[in-house]
Amino acid sequence: MAEYRTHMKIIGDILTTTCDDSQDENGATVTYLIRKANVSHSRISRMLKVLVSQGLLEKVNEQGSNKYKISQSGREFLAAYNTFSNFATNFGLVI
Amino acid sequence: MEFLLENILNLVGFLVGLVIGIVSFIGYRNTGSPTLFRLAIAFFSIGAGFLVIWIGFMLEDFVIKSGSIERWVQTLGIGIQTIGYFFIAFSHSIKSLFPKSRYFRSVGIFPLFLVSSIHIEHIFRSISFILLAYGAIETILSYFENKNKGAISVATGLSLLALGEFLGWYSFVFPESILYYLSIIIKIAGLIALFIPVSKLPLTKIKFDESFD
Repeated sequence: MAEYRTHMKIIGDILTTTCDDSQDENGATVTYLIRKANVSHSRISRMLKVLVSQGLLEKVNEQGSNKYKISQSGREFLAAYNTFSNFATNFGLVI
Repeated sequence: MEFLLENILNLVGFLVGLVIGIVSFIGYRNTGSPTLFRLAIAFFSIGAGFLVIWIGFMLEDFVIKSGSIERWVQTLGIGIQTIGYFFIAFSHSIKSLFPKSRYFRSVGIFPLFLVSSIHIEHIFRSISFILLAYGAIETILSYFENKNKGAISVATGLSLLALGEFLGWYSFVFPESILYYLSIIIKIAGLIALFIPVSKLPLTKIKFDESFD
């Protein structure tokens, strides 16, 4: 049975992909993020919009295509997410 | 001896509850996770429960001097702790039983507990035991899934607290026996085990919300 991922976990996966596993220094395309973070197009579009509006991701327009790059705030959020995700895992929980 | 052990237990319980509660709350403020919010309520409640009993012992020893703590104070403290244990078990039940429920994931339900105070104390201890045992089982199951060593320490802590509650309840049957002291010592060990993984968190690396400073 597939593991159910919380909304927070998906956000963590998207940020981790843009931080550690990006295509290049200009960021990752939506298609790349869909494949890496394993999220549907409609869902990831909504999430990317929110993440950009919150300042966690930066939208970069490169040769007509949009790419997403993690911001400094995004890196700080990701560090906090990883720490508290580990904290919750200690209690047998997921954040 | 009873006074000393009770004071150590209640102070350790208060401090451990407060610290884990604060760490959970910082996590909630930084990530917005409802799980961390529930953990914060759980550990603040556990800490507050221990604090109420500690204040009861101090008042009894230095002000009232009746020779034993007011029963209703102890019942109140145990009741508040039970609410904390409920939230730990509740978080596990959401994860296991309602993983997709937005309602359960976003809000908490407050437990409704519907007798003399000694009977209520029995009920609270029994409920605490069940909730702690459930929390310990779920935590150890999660260890088998992700092999996080911290989960063993937390599961041990919850198991020891459950055993302590059970022995504490059993000491009503055999009052003045060694079971009571054993129960307190086991609970102190449980609280220390709960604190071990939290003490290893690299919190200094995180830049917290400015409003929290």
